[in-house]
Amino acid sequence: MYFLNVTPTHDPQLLKGVLSLLLLQMLAQRESYGYELVQRLHEIGLSDISDGTVYPALGRLERESRVSARLVSSHSGPARKYYRPTAAGYAALAEGVTGWLAFVEVTNPVLLHPIPTQPGPPNEEVFDD
Amino acid sequence: MRIERAVWTLDSYLRNLPRKSRIAKRRELRVNLRAASADVGVNEALRRLGNIRTMAAEYLVTEYGGPGPSWIVTTYFLFAAFYFMIWFENARIDAFKAGAIAANPHLTGTFHFTGVAYVFTNDVFIFTNGKVSEVGGTLLPLVYLCIFALAVLVGRLWRAIPAVRQRSLGAING
Repeated sequence: MYFLNVTPTHDPQLLKGVLSLLLLQMLAQRESYGYELVQRLHEIGLSDISDGTVYPALGRLERESRVSARLVSSHSGPARKYYRPTAAGYAALAEGVTGWLAFVEVTNPVLLHPIPTQPGPPNEEVFDD
Repeated sequence: MRIERAVWTLDSYLRNLPRKSRIAKRRELRVNLRAASADVGVNEALRRLGNIRTMAAEYLVTEYGGPGPSWIVTTYFLFAAFYFMIWFENARIDAFKAGAIAANPHLTGTFHFTGVAYVFTNDVFIFTNGKVSEVGGTLLPLVYLCIFALAVLVGRLWRAIPAVRQRSLGAING
């Protein structure tokens, strides 16, 4: 049997699907600007996510009116664009989290089984040619 | 300097976006890159940014649901198409004139030269002792229509229509 003892790397496609939810949740916790969000994602363990993935994702959320932005002056340079969820963002977050948990509930019991080295026999009788 | 290069590289890929949106993205990337380089250094900040072309493609998908319209390609196409048509018509006219003068260097009279059906109008050449002036030989409205229709296709201009843009975005977001 195989066990998941490898260093986890994150499937970009999987990450892309859940990135909007992560960003909304993080912004619901604390208003942030682009690079700060990247840092927060790295802190929770998503260190392989590139900054260039996060910034357009934020742009998309803003375009979909799920986050609003405001410029906040910074002591270390030009004003930074801080994002926070809108009412639509909170609704999307609630809906997304519910959907994600339901998905995990269905997939986890299957995926958490140790991986067999080879498949078992089929349920029905097999006739060899 | 290297931050500016990254910012302007992104800008060049985003040339199809509206100017205001492009400026906002430039400004935001610059601020983020400066914050990142203060934190981890310029090299690492740029490395973490990833592929700028991919990033630009993401922005375009966000805005248009795809590559978006290309005004530059449309402009180049229009220039090239009209340049070719004018060159083609001039070549026809010059050939006719050269042929007529070669036959008779002191030619005098009025001559009609049939245009190309659906493309050019007929030409009228007035020769006076080998000197020539001409009337006609212009593009027909149908040609203008075809060239503009092709320009729309080549430059994907339909993607600039808000309703189409919304539909493309809807298809992507499910």
